[in-house]
Amino acid sequence: MKRLMAGIVAAAAALVLAAPANADVDTDFTNELHLYGIYGQKDYNAWIAKITCKRLNRGVDTTAAQSAKFVHDQLVKDTTTEQAWQFLGAGLRLYCPDKLPLLQAGQ
Amino acid sequence: MLRKASIAAAALSCAAMVLPAAASADSTDEYPIPSRMMKTTCTVDQYMAATRDTDPVYYERYMIDYKNRPADVQTGARNRIYWFFSLDYAGRRQYSENTATNVYYEQMATRWGNWAKLFFNNKGVVAHATDVCMNYPPNDPGVWNW
Repeated sequence: MKRLMAGIVAAAAALVLAAPANADVDTDFTNELHLYGIYGQKDYNAWIAKITCKRLNRGVDTTAAQSAKFVHDQLVKDTTTEQAWQFLGAGLRLYCPDKLPLLQAGQ
Repeated sequence: MLRKASIAAAALSCAAMVLPAAASADSTDEYPIPSRMMKTTCTVDQYMAATRDTDPVYYERYMIDYKNRPADVQTGARNRIYWFFSLDYAGRRQYSENTATNVYYEQMATRWGNWAKLFFNNKGVVAHATDVCMNYPPNDPGVWNW
């Protein structure tokens, strides 16, 4: 019984804690981009992240380096290479986590 | 004498006011079709592959719109833009003039108003893509499948 309660409490806590983070992926993405000093329009950035995933799914890009270049080309001119990779990391994690291994492969 | 001259001048200025009004419906080298689109030697496939990289959101929106059209409209739009790209500069310039002066000239537009949005409507998109389109494969039907 105690164990069941603990389970329920843990599940409830997970629900409560997770709720703010899952309210809207685009908002989470924007907030994370702000940590990296990447601003710009929320919808636009979300589009770019989603299209980055689509390009990987379609094979237009096949490596993380190609994706990072694509992202870099779409952001404002003074964006650094590091910011482009941060954008890519956050984008893959939030919009197509199945592609994260590409980042780890470091290609 | 002075009176005659001033009447003539007045008549001239009246004519000047009337004539430009008639001319304002004409096309220019940049409108409705940007000059870079009339001058490019890229193929449709090259141009579209370039926009996919240079203005991905614009390309994405066009392709969503395209996919939402009935199959015959999609085929019609594809055939029409391949036809346009087959024209030389003079032909494209004439087409620009025809569409500017006669809203019913382009029949494709009656089925799908934005059928050529990716190609004609945005000077910035055309400029970005025509800068690099020659670096893409001339034949790549995959650009229509997005």
